[in-house]
Amino acid sequence: MNKRMSLKEVEKRTYMSYHQDGLLDIFVGVYVLLFGLGILLMTVTDFSTWFVIPAIFPAVMVPIWVSVKKRITMPRIGYVKFGSRGANKLMAIFIGLMVAGLGVFMVFTFASRSQGWALTLRNLIISNGMIIIGIGAAAISSLFAYTMGLNRLYVYGLLTLALFFAGHFITIPFGYFLLTIGLVIIINGFVLLMQFIRKYPLPQGDEANVEKSL
Amino acid sequence: MSKNPSNLKNIDRLIHEPTRLMIMTQLYVVESADFLFLQHQLKMTPGNLSSHLSKLEEAGYVEIVKEFIERKPHTALELTKKGRKAFREYQQNLKQVFGDLQK
Repeated sequence: MNKRMSLKEVEKRTYMSYHQDGLLDIFVGVYVLLFGLGILLMTVTDFSTWFVIPAIFPAVMVPIWVSVKKRITMPRIGYVKFGSRGANKLMAIFIGLMVAGLGVFMVFTFASRSQGWALTLRNLIISNGMIIIGIGAAAISSLFAYTMGLNRLYVYGLLTLALFFAGHFITIPFGYFLLTIGLVIIINGFVLLMQFIRKYPLPQGDEANVEKSL
Repeated sequence: MSKNPSNLKNIDRLIHEPTRLMIMTQLYVVESADFLFLQHQLKMTPGNLSSHLSKLEEAGYVEIVKEFIERKPHTALELTKKGRKAFREYQQNLKQVFGDLQK
C-alpha cells in the first residue's frame, strides 16, 4: 500500500485478490452456457424442462465452488472472511434487480392489455428486445464490477452488449449468443486459473513454521 | 480537540508504524483473514509479519484464533473490539491533526 487509498479501495482490492483465481468466471460461464444450451434445445426438441438444470445450478454450484476454493485458492493465498457489510451490499443489489425485473414484468403485462402508449411501449420492447437485454446485462455486470472491484466484469458486460447489439441485426438463434458469452467467460476463467496457480505456488515448510510460531 | 500541534502526542504509536498500519487497515475491512492471506496481500515476509502481529496481539488489538479447516491447522486473525475502536480513534486523531495544521 504505497499510494493514498481509502478503506473502500482496500476492501475492493481484497475482493479482487480473493477472486483472481478465475473460479467465479468459470462457474458463471458454465451457468450462462447452460442457459444458452437450454434455449437451443428447446427450439429443437421442445424439451422445456431442460430449464430445470440452469435453475437448480446455483444450488449445486455454491457447494462445489466453496469446495474448489478450499482446495485450490486457500492453500495458495490463504483465507479471508468478508464482513456482512459486503454481503448485505450484494444482497441489496440482488433484491433491487428482482424488484426491477418484477416491475418490468408488470409493465409488460399491463401493456399487453392496453392500448395507446402502453401498447406502443410493449411493441418497442419486443422489436428491440436484443438491444434492451444487452443494455440490461451490461448494466448489471457493471454494477457488480463496481461493487466488487472486479474490473473484468466490465469487459464481460461490454462483450454482452456488443453481441446482443449485433444479434439485433443478425438472425441467429438467441441461444448461440449465450453459448458464445459463456464460452468466452469460461476460457478467460481457465486462463486466470492457470496464471493464478503459476503465480502462487503452494507454500513450503518455512512459511508454515513461522505461522505455527504465532 | 483544540488547535494544538501537541495533539500529535495523542496518535497511537503502535498503529502509526507503517507496517502495522497496513496490517490494521487490512484487518479492519474484513471480518478475519489468515496469516497466509495477510502475507500475500501486504507483500511481507513471514518473519516480519509475525513480529508485528505479536506486538498488536500484546496490545490487545488483534486476536489470533487457531482452528481446523478440512482437518488442517489454520491461524485466523481478526481485530478485537479494542483494536477496531483504536483504529477508528487513530483515523479521527490523524484527521484532526492535519485539519489543524492546514488552518
